[in-house]
Amino acid sequence: MPLEKELETYKKKLPELKTLEGKFVLIHDEQVVDTFSSYEDAIKEGYSKFKLEPFLVKRISSIEQVQSISRFVEPRITT
Amino acid sequence: MAYIGVSKARHGALTTAGQPIPSLVQIQALVDTGASCTCIDPSVLNSLGLTPTGIVTVNTPSTGTQPHTALQYDVSILIPGALPTHVPLIVDNIAVVAAQLLAAQGFQALIGRDILAQCLLTYNGQMDEFTLAF
Repeated sequence: MPLEKELETYKKKLPELKTLEGKFVLIHDEQVVDTFSSYEDAIKEGYSKFKLEPFLVKRISSIEQVQSISRFVEPRITT
Repeated sequence: MAYIGVSKARHGALTTAGQPIPSLVQIQALVDTGASCTCIDPSVLNSLGLTPTGIVTVNTPSTGTQPHTALQYDVSILIPGALPTHVPLIVDNIAVVAAQLLAAQGFQALIGRDILAQCLLTYNGQMDEFTLAF
């Protein structure tokens, strides 16, 4: 799955990130780069620092937020 | 109808890298108050040459009682006004969920409550119509 390493880093670092609940974290490979107040700032910094290389932007949440879609769709983990 | 393109942030990275900017893709989208997030069919995301920049957990009727993991992509979305003279709604950088939508249903995106939160949605059941103001 794409971003598997970054997701693993997020899970590993979550205990330290918990104090920043609600902010957006930028992760590249095994490195937590920074946190941001908005998604927009995080994604801009991601592209600015890592260009077109893979990076992860994720909202920090001690309890994983679940998105809900009432319509019948198939969420994709690959494209 | 809506238009999907690369996000403003990715646009900048592509320009810096000297790579071409994919054209906006015109799609049919459904306003869906039952979707907490905006979803786009992978075929549209592939045509823009996107790579994922997020991962979320999603619950849908198709996933049963267990939430599934889904990839997120940063895109820009333009929803035109009802008339050409109306100002369109433009969201420059938004994370959307990749979700296979049933092609037979005739749309490639669900406009979820993340975008609707920026609008005024009015449903007039007696007139069988809705208005989306932004």
